[in-house]
Amino acid sequence: MTQDRTGLLLAALAVAILLSLVPLTPVLAPLRPYWVALVLIYWSLEVPKPLSLGAVFLVGLVLDIVSASLMGMHAMSLVVIVYLVRHFRARMRFFPPWQQALAVLALLVNDRIILLWITALLGEPVPTWHYWLAPLVGMAIWPWLFLAMDLLRLRSRQSNRS
Amino acid sequence: MLYLLLSVLLMAMDQSGKFIPRFRAMLEYAVEPVYLLAELPARALRGVSGYTRSYSRLQQENERFENQLLEQAGQVQQLAALAEENRRLRALLRATEGRRLEFRFAELVSVNLDPYAHQVVIDRGAADDVFVGQAVIDGQGVMGQVESVQWGQSHVRLISDPEHALPVQVLRTGQRTVAYGTGDSGRLSLPNLPTQSDIRPQDMLVTSGLGDRFPAGFPVAVITDIERDTGGAFAAINARPLAALDRGREVLLLLPEQEQPE
Repeated sequence: MTQDRTGLLLAALAVAILLSLVPLTPVLAPLRPYWVALVLIYWSLEVPKPLSLGAVFLVGLVLDIVSASLMGMHAMSLVVIVYLVRHFRARMRFFPPWQQALAVLALLVNDRIILLWITALLGEPVPTWHYWLAPLVGMAIWPWLFLAMDLLRLRSRQSNRS
Repeated sequence: MLYLLLSVLLMAMDQSGKFIPRFRAMLEYAVEPVYLLAELPARALRGVSGYTRSYSRLQQENERFENQLLEQAGQVQQLAALAEENRRLRALLRATEGRRLEFRFAELVSVNLDPYAHQVVIDRGAADDVFVGQAVIDGQGVMGQVESVQWGQSHVRLISDPEHALPVQVLRTGQRTVAYGTGDSGRLSLPNLPTQSDIRPQDMLVTSGLGDRFPAGFPVAVITDIERDTGGAFAAINARPLAALDRGREVLLLLPEQEQPE
């Protein structure tokens, strides 16, 4: 059972990482939601025995290597997100969907602020306002991702039982 | 908390150390198939749009390319005459023979990396004798240099990286300076020119060949604006890179220089 569940998580993460690499036109590129974070938020909210922060850290490192970003940047941002989700898990689970989406927006905006702080230390220019659109897209996608993941989990559980 | 500290440490080491970048370069071999997989949808889309392009559009394009070819053939004829003249003059001066450069064609792998990485991936690697530090240009100008090499792919660092400095020369006056990346793919900055130096907007910057990474004479950027009133000894000068750093598809790798046979 647990084997099966980690399989589903790995598959979801693999798809999320691929989605964050798929080329978009320069106009759409800043709108790309933070797929890996969305999957991890779902997982630490809904699955009874969620991931350890160490595993989250490793996922972040994989994302760093794949996207050629500074080593540890995504690891840090994902650890912060998952830590916050766990802290507020009891409350967030019983939010109505729209409120939950707002909470996700807050998490993603907070994450953008952390990333902005890191890139500013690297001497990068301050990004344009497009930079803040990605969390909004993430929020819009959240309910759908939530439903899809729920469905997948249910199906894998049923196929396990039969 | 522990993981936060660890990630800060890693970032610092990646930024200024030697060990982490080397370690990453090794891991990037494993990433190669991931890129191939991520590229699939884009490649399929290109294939479909290639098939469905209309006849009239193809015809138009063909006509345009033919005109371009004719025009450039004319320019090349002129160039051949100039090259011959140059050779004779050099022989008169007993200067060293000019060197001829060879190129190799490469294509960008369509994956979007982190925008702050200032890197692109090309589809040539160790199997095609790509080496770290090799210069990469596109049809318009200098793009960057090879950062790490895998089997069939390599990562190229773009000249827009804030960590990247490129020795350049103003084509009109021959003044040498250094062009730094700014993190913005449409802007390079030249902070080392004195306020009274002879430079104007629209001046062309070419590689100066100092530093031995890039051969001399390749177009890099065009000066866009000059702020002389900075209150310091140096002017604040911005330039626009000529290469399509954020949207190109085809690039050229410069092969190591070979002595021209006498």
